[in-house]
Amino acid sequence: MNVVRNRASLSRSPRSFITTAAVVLAGALALSAVPAQGASTPGVSATEIVLGMQLPQTGPASPGYNKVDDAIRAYFDYVNSKGGVYGRKITLVVKDDTYKAGLTVSTASALINKDKVFAMVGSIGTQTHISVIKDINRRGIPDLFVNSGYSGFYTDPKKYPTTFGALGTYVVEAKILGKHIKENFSKNTVGIVYQTDDFGRNTVEGLAIAGVTFTAKKTAATFIAGTQGSGLDAQMQQLKDNNVDVVVVGAVASAFAAAVSSANKIGYKPAQWIVISVGADATTFQTILGARGIPAASSAGLLAGTISASHAPSPGEAEDEYVKAFKTINDGFNKGPDKRWDNNVLQGMNIGYLTTSALLGVGKDLTRPGIIKYIEANAAKLPSAALSPLGYSSSTHEAFTGFWIGKYDATAVLKPIDATRKVWTTDSAKGAVTELKYTRPAIAADALPKVG
Amino acid sequence: MRAVSKVKQHSIARKSLRRTLFFIVLILLAGSTFDAYNQAQLALVLILFIGVLSVTLLTGISGQLSLGQGALMAVGGYCMALLITNKGYSIWVAIPLAIVGAAIAGLLLGISAARLSGPYLAGTTLVIALAIPTLSNRFMSVLKGDEGLPVDVGYPPNWFTKLFGEPSYEQWQLYVALPFAAIALFFASNILLSRTGRMWRAIRDNETAASLSGVNFSRQKIFVFVVSATFAGLSGALYGLRGLVGPSVYPVSLSLTLLTAAVLGGIRSIFGAFIGTVIVVFLPDWIEAVLGSFELSEQVSNFMPALISSLLLILTVVINPAGVAGTHLHKHK
Amino acid sequence: METFLAALFSGTSRGAIYALVALGLVIVWRGAGIVNFAQMGQAMFSTYIASTMITNGYSYWLGFIVAILVGAAMGALLDILVMRPLSNKKKTELLSSDSMRAAVPVIASLGILGVLQALAGIIWAAEERGFPAPYPQEGFTVANNVMPFTSFDVFVISIVLATLLATTLFFKKTGVGLAMRATALNAEVARLSGIRTNFTRSLSWGFSGAASSLAGLLITPTSNLSPNTLDLVLIIGFTAAVVGGLDSPAGSVIGGFLVGMVISFVSFYDTPEDVFLSILSVLLLVLIIRPRGIFGAKDARRV
Repeated sequence: MNVVRNRASLSRSPRSFITTAAVVLAGALALSAVPAQGASTPGVSATEIVLGMQLPQTGPASPGYNKVDDAIRAYFDYVNSKGGVYGRKITLVVKDDTYKAGLTVSTASALINKDKVFAMVGSIGTQTHISVIKDINRRGIPDLFVNSGYSGFYTDPKKYPTTFGALGTYVVEAKILGKHIKENFSKNTVGIVYQTDDFGRNTVEGLAIAGVTFTAKKTAATFIAGTQGSGLDAQMQQLKDNNVDVVVVGAVASAFAAAVSSANKIGYKPAQWIVISVGADATTFQTILGARGIPAASSAGLLAGTISASHAPSPGEAEDEYVKAFKTINDGFNKGPDKRWDNNVLQGMNIGYLTTSALLGVGKDLTRPGIIKYIEANAAKLPSAALSPLGYSSSTHEAFTGFWIGKYDATAVLKPIDATRKVWTTDSAKGAVTELKYTRPAIAADALPKVG
Repeated sequence: MRAVSKVKQHSIARKSLRRTLFFIVLILLAGSTFDAYNQAQLALVLILFIGVLSVTLLTGISGQLSLGQGALMAVGGYCMALLITNKGYSIWVAIPLAIVGAAIAGLLLGISAARLSGPYLAGTTLVIALAIPTLSNRFMSVLKGDEGLPVDVGYPPNWFTKLFGEPSYEQWQLYVALPFAAIALFFASNILLSRTGRMWRAIRDNETAASLSGVNFSRQKIFVFVVSATFAGLSGALYGLRGLVGPSVYPVSLSLTLLTAAVLGGIRSIFGAFIGTVIVVFLPDWIEAVLGSFELSEQVSNFMPALISSLLLILTVVINPAGVAGTHLHKHK
Repeated sequence: METFLAALFSGTSRGAIYALVALGLVIVWRGAGIVNFAQMGQAMFSTYIASTMITNGYSYWLGFIVAILVGAAMGALLDILVMRPLSNKKKTELLSSDSMRAAVPVIASLGILGVLQALAGIIWAAEERGFPAPYPQEGFTVANNVMPFTSFDVFVISIVLATLLATTLFFKKTGVGLAMRATALNAEVARLSGIRTNFTRSLSWGFSGAASSLAGLLITPTSNLSPNTLDLVLIIGFTAAVVGGLDSPAGSVIGGFLVGMVISFVSFYDTPEDVFLSILSVLLLVLIIRPRGIFGAKDARRV
């Protein structure tokens, strides 16, 4: 430690140092304070529209969801192959945030500042989206078709004017299923297994509004059942001990598969499984059980009879015209590592379709405020594969407020529980559940939206 | 004797001040040439730099391996967010109070961990990093579960805009982080140069000799924890201000990222901490830039950044465990 | 009573696997003085290999054996490629203190974990899949009640106990085992007395790799398999090893079962949300009383 030298060298300089620093500081601030808004709309040129999406592509939360971006891109590639939107090709820039909110902030910044996206589309993940939603809205960037049913994003458009959902809210779905439970299983003992996050809690909340009372309420601790210390053995045992014969599952598909295995293990055979749509993906269910050595026929048997709800046709409805068209596009254009047709791919295709309709609807003069205003005012003009219209208005940005209730048949296809499919609707608050009359417009022969 | 040490303290403070001013100038110069994205990245560097300093002090200088600094960051973040959302405090009041909160957590941790060393301490801190975020669901009504508490840096005050013009959001993030990073750097530098730093190094290098020469060993160990926690808490509070304070903001991997940065840069020096943080923050961008020119299938490209950065980590550690800063900068060991 | 038995059974079979994970960590800690955070990454990788073989029509047992062999080979290879060159740097100033000798390899093993997880993602995509069990996963009936205890659980517990016994005998009775213990106690002395310390070190890594691959094969049938599935298992196994005492194989067994029971009883009687907080409490409680674990050497401070 050379004290003397340090003193000597310092005694000359401190004041000039501070002066220099102050000058540089002021200069730097002055230099870099450029106005934030440019003249033209970011992400839109004569030949291209750049859109951004954030999701967990890798990491524990990624399985299943990492297929949605490939499906959206496949649909855009199809649109581009047909000449794009008013001559503009749609480019989707995808960022992997591994479901860590700290990273989502950085990837959002990259999409906004580096890739200069026109809008965000189809972002996945409630917790992660919470960390960026305010900033995205403050900048006036359209935040379209968010893949989350968290009602907090949509029910107050004054708070988040640019954010629009792509799912019915978890509360709405739970209220509709809750009504069904009340009417059909009032003599049974009802229990629930749910994730301890917004999805699980909103589900419990919705069922409670519908007046469902639980004998046993069990949580499934983590987002992914597979990583749990003891699977779902404990929860299933507790439900069994409480003689629960109707089990509601508010968890992801892999957790539902784990729950069924755990129940099987202890010889627990509830009379009825009811699964929220997030967890009711037949492909995931059968893939997981299949790799455990349970052949597809047996796993379909385990799934058969399970009740679930959906806003869209089941991916297994091969005759549905939207399913048919999207499936063909998926086969031809999906370049993702896993393009097997399932709920995730259908949802991705549908978001691609909706985005294209919105871009077509706004017209050639594409601006950020323009598309937000258009979507809010013209929800009825934006049909999709869903069996319910978009619910967007100036008072809510919830997507699909209609769900139909179905039961899995022996071939793992969700079939309407009523002879003819009935779609139910309600709000995310205390409103009643009523039947929805909606005739879905047909899809055009070229599977491109026609907005007129 | 006393007079001499006073002179010495004075010169240490000056040396630290000089370093700090140099740092401020450097950041402002870099910030003014960067585009908006890189300004936000630079702000992130400053924020994590403070957290990495907490590792440098705890692990590099005093030799206690912690894998749970992320938990202390979470404590800082939650304290601040609660004060802002529930009490309506401004960030300038909430952050210092959050640091106090983190220091108290560090004190508790230090007391319970004072007897532990090596892998036992590492294991305990790792479980702490895992357990602390689960509290947010346990105390749902206050900590708001997985949804967390949204907070941000807000807008610059009027006097600032009058003086310097309206900064962009990214610039404002940078200007909020800079003074805190500078203060952290100043204190870290002071500690490293002072008698305290020498005492901590003595603990690291030889506990027995240190205790024989009259260092109150456990008390110093606890003290190290408290000091390190203040750095981590400050870093965590600023990290939360990027948008959200919630469990998915402070995962276990955050603690490991801090350690990685410290080791890559050189775990015993402040310079190393800074370089390591720069690498950790900017490496994914560099990898992406390089990979952009290759035609890779999505399955491969998704995992490439993780693969390359992990390989680099192994190579750095095997070829030169002293990190980028190297041994020659560890002269004042 | 039923819930109690259920929790007890579940805790036993889970505890056995945690004990195995802990044993893998203990073997490497004793043999090389390193906590290997990549251990369950290696297990994940070898389980994926087994899974691929089985889904392609090979028998379960062939996949099982190949996975264990791959696990052993991977362990030895990691030592030779990464850890040995690293520990040869011991003479450098940075690695002169104990704490740094513990910290730097941790970083290296985290790097290895990252590489393995990324490779698994590239090779097998990041899909989640299940993994089969060789015996039926249907619970036995005790007093008219089906318990969460299956023939597969019996298989798990017996194979784990056999492994633990074999390991103990190996260390106590065989020449190589004694050489490994000697290396663990004092590498310099061992080297001087003619033991090939590099060889015994790599052997420890190989053993540990095999043990953890076994753990991976045994735990995935009840959870699912994805590149990150086993992250938490490692942390729990590490906790078990620390509770039992990192330098004691017997301790790893006690620690494994203790942690298994805590997790099981908290899940059955309370909620799984509290699992990590309760593990932390147990860890702190044990370490405050015994800072080096239940079976750890009392004061191993090297002067």
